[in-house]
Amino acid sequence: MAEFEPKILAFCCNWCSYAGADLAGVSRLQYPPNIRIIRVMCSGRVEPEFVVKALSLRADGVLILGCHIGDCHYIYGNHRTKKRMAILERILGYLGIDPARVRLEWVSASEGARFAEVVRQFTEEIKKLGPNPLKEVRA
Amino acid sequence: MIENIRDLARKWLESKEVDAIFGLKEQDGGVAPYLFTGRVNGISELGKLTTSTQYRRLCYTCRPSKDNILSLMQRREPNMKIGIVARGCEERALVELAKRGQIDLEKIKIMGIACSQEEAKECKCERPYPNNLVIGERVEGVSGDENINALLSKSLPERLAFWRHELSKCIKCYGCRDACPMCFCKDCKMEQKIFTETGSLPPEIPMFLFIRFYHISERCIGCGECEKACPVDIPLLTIFRQLRRDMKDLFDYEAGIAVEQESPLLTTLDESPMRKEVTSGV
Ligand code: SF4
Ligand code: SF4
Ligand code: FES
Repeated sequence: MAEFEPKILAFCCNWCSYAGADLAGVSRLQYPPNIRIIRVMCSGRVEPEFVVKALSLRADGVLILGCHIGDCHYIYGNHRTKKRMAILERILGYLGIDPARVRLEWVSASEGARFAEVVRQFTEEIKKLGPNPLKEVRA
Repeated sequence: MIENIRDLARKWLESKEVDAIFGLKEQDGGVAPYLFTGRVNGISELGKLTTSTQYRRLCYTCRPSKDNILSLMQRREPNMKIGIVARGCEERALVELAKRGQIDLEKIKIMGIACSQEEAKECKCERPYPNNLVIGERVEGVSGDENINALLSKSLPERLAFWRHELSKCIKCYGCRDACPMCFCKDCKMEQKIFTETGSLPPEIPMFLFIRFYHISERCIGCGECEKACPVDIPLLTIFRQLRRDMKDLFDYEAGIAVEQESPLLTTLDESPMRKEVTSGV
């Protein structure tokens, strides 16, 4: 059987993390091709509903990347993200979806290497978790 | 107890402390919300003022306009001072609604009443008394919830299997949402294709009900109306009750206690208000 190749969705904020991803690209850093990026203006734009919708649409994992605390270009956007994701994590757990399928990380515009590392680690973790069980629910 | 409530209501009306009392009225063998006014006929109707655990929608939203009954009244009669007979859960709902700009508590006088032990048991209520108790004796709430314990003792795959079964019963009647005092959005995500598939039953699992779980998470006052409304007995409260505990655990926050207490989703990580600082120009 071929090795399980997860599909991972990443929400990257325009000002830090997307630029970080860009830097990883122009620096020719290697990272797994499992990730699909959606650019949002701020991590605070990512509603928990987006994350669950992604899982419901068969993503195996969802990454939310934003500016470090204190660096959000909308001042408190990422404060909100952090609190929202804490609630999301709990609800996912109660519903029986492993909260480890969703991860929030801060990646700045200069952290191309960190971006690659986060994607690498997360991809490994999702590979260990296996396919998203919601695929079966919605089969 | 009901006599004490009627007496106090009469006193409030006669002394013009309030212009009207909003409560439940006995009618045709059942109960219905009613506005008892200070006019002679309003006061004489007070003999029919009653309470009920079966009908507790005093501060709730009416469909299809999705307007809160109280907020509608207040918009039409902004100067009217309304007295409201409210149980603990109803008082908490009023506090949350005021916090979210739906009603004006300045113009509302709450007659907080205590629930009996039987009533508390029936609702599995953890707080069967209002913050400001006016009438009745306070009894202790029901602690512990076997549904929550059962859920927490399950493994992740078992939980998923459980909810897969439970949520597949959903007939998408929107009863839970319509009964919820905290659900007042005009544009509900549960009706939007982009969030949840439309046109099929059961609705998208778990997306459809997740929208409510998340959206109500930090404002749920634990009244239990959603679970009572559900015609197919989905144990919705299991998650909402647990989330109320989580809010205490994560943010040291409890919905429905004080209007000044900002929702944790509207404050910064160190719990200072977000809106004020942003608008004052940082
Ligand atoms: S218990 Fe149900 S109806 Fe009551 S506030 Fe919470 S979600 Fe709404
Ligand atoms: S009340 Fe029950 S059946 Fe109706 S929409 Fe809510 S969960 Fe589904
Ligand atoms: S702009 Fe990057 S998190 Fe807000």
